[in-house]
Amino acid sequence: MTETLLETRSLCKNFGALAAARDVNFRLEAGARHALIGPNGAGKTTFINLLTGVFLPTQGQVLLKGRDITTMEQSARVKLGIARTFQINRLFRGLSVLENVYIAVAERLGAGNQMMKPAGMRKDIVDEAMRLLDVLRLSNDAGHRISELPYGRQRLVELAIALGLEPEVLLLDEPAAGVPSAESHIILEAIAALPKHIGVLIIDHDMDLVFRFAQRITVLVGGAIFAEGTPKEIGADQRVRDVYLGQGHQAESHHG
Amino acid sequence: MTMPAQRGNPGLTTAGLSDHPAALALVGRHRVRIWEPLPWILALAFYFAFPNHLGFGTELLVTILFALSLDLALGYAGIVTLGHAAFFGAGAYTVGMLAHHGIWSEPISGLMLAAGVAALIGLVSGLILLRTTGLTLLMLTLCTMALLEEAANMGEKYTGGFDGLPNLPIPPLFGMFEFNPLYPRVQYLYVLGVLFVCFLFIRMLVYSPFGQSLTGIRENVLRMHAVGAPVNWRLVTCYTISAAIAGIAGGLWAQANAYVNLSTLGLDRAATVLIILVLGGYGRLYGAFVGAVVYMALSHFLAKVYPTAWQLGLGLLLMLIALFARNGVLGLWDQITTRFRFKSAAKRGPP
Repeated sequence: MTETLLETRSLCKNFGALAAARDVNFRLEAGARHALIGPNGAGKTTFINLLTGVFLPTQGQVLLKGRDITTMEQSARVKLGIARTFQINRLFRGLSVLENVYIAVAERLGAGNQMMKPAGMRKDIVDEAMRLLDVLRLSNDAGHRISELPYGRQRLVELAIALGLEPEVLLLDEPAAGVPSAESHIILEAIAALPKHIGVLIIDHDMDLVFRFAQRITVLVGGAIFAEGTPKEIGADQRVRDVYLGQGHQAESHHG
Repeated sequence: MTMPAQRGNPGLTTAGLSDHPAALALVGRHRVRIWEPLPWILALAFYFAFPNHLGFGTELLVTILFALSLDLALGYAGIVTLGHAAFFGAGAYTVGMLAHHGIWSEPISGLMLAAGVAALIGLVSGLILLRTTGLTLLMLTLCTMALLEEAANMGEKYTGGFDGLPNLPIPPLFGMFEFNPLYPRVQYLYVLGVLFVCFLFIRMLVYSPFGQSLTGIRENVLRMHAVGAPVNWRLVTCYTISAAIAGIAGGLWAQANAYVNLSTLGLDRAATVLIILVLGGYGRLYGAFVGAVVYMALSHFLAKVYPTAWQLGLGLLLMLIALFARNGVLGLWDQITTRFRFKSAAKRGPP
């Protein structure tokens, strides 16, 4: 029996009259490769924001390993091991790639308040940041500013920052969004090579990516869970195909 | 390609990674560069070369320190403030009121008190207004300063009101060196010394992991939250330190001039220091030096040549800087040197 890492119970979020999350009961297991799909406006990013503490839910609970973190601040959740990437790159654009990852690693190690020592003297942080960049094959870009990098490489920096936080739960919000197809294999390989023990939740529109990556899929429609199951079950589910995958979608071909 | 499986990302100590140019650049970033003693040599040279202009020189050094304090908040942490003179004035009035009412007048401990009072105001106001950003923040910093200015104006009994407090009795430095208002030699060296110490402190801060995290907040505050940084506390810390240094600058001003008045607290001073920082280049330490020198030398010179219209010249220069050199004089210098390097590299051909 696998351990439940992250769990929501009857999670609701209203923005005025709009219910962006409706009674969502969700579980992410340790080491899971879980995908969250749904049409535009289904509340996928809202769900991530509820998990990470950007928004507080109107009702319901968020639990991490059984501990109630519903009202916990964003930074405290990160310390407990929840990391995310953003749908649209949110990087330190004026800083170098290495500095971007340095900042993340420094925060994890609690070095962000350190004033008396030069940043470069924390060789442990510099080395770890370089190692992460090497793993993601970004080390050649380490000295470049984010603004000088092509978009696909910037997406990898998003991933490197999240990994620098050593998460147990990793939430990937459309990791391949905006990446030219010629470069998307870099992202896919990086995701495939993520440490096995991390529970990964990926949000994406790209069915190729979802069906290749996920062991389990949750379909969100109108803020509520519409269906959940293995890729095979979801691909074969006529309701899902009607609502989301649309007519004529070759879902079967993806999961063989 | 495999990823490390355990926490701690161990293993994979690939040889050569620590020798990567980017890693070396980060590791050696805080080292003193060869030209860095230059401003201090020039400042000492000024002392010997222009003994009749040391009043101007003292004012310049105080302004540099004030601009440096603003650079920490605005240039590094991205705190947009139009009310930084609040802290300058708080420091100046602390020194002025304590000396005028015969409570405390020893210069160095007086500066520490000035720093303390300014820091306290920075901490309290920062806790409230750093929750906001952009235009709201700008207006709130302006309001804080206006409140203090009005308080200084109204509290005539303590602050001297509109006239300020003249003829402050400042005892000799270390009990030996007299502050002479007509020949401000002691003041100049004293201010230079304090500036140097404060500069070393600020330099240490901006190259530390703390300073790096401030640049992170400036570049992308949402991401900073997402990496688990206590953003608000860090901004408040930065603002408080910046306020303390501005307070020291104000205290120095009061001691060197032996008076204090409302000009230390006004929008005029707050706007001027902002212009200086934009002129020199913000978020780069030495922008404060370059900006203050350029601004004060130009206004000094232009005011002599065109006594009635000197601000027009400054305005034009500022427009040019804003249009063509977004990061001030030093930013322009960077652009030129990069282009030059690029050209000479192109001549040598690809490696």
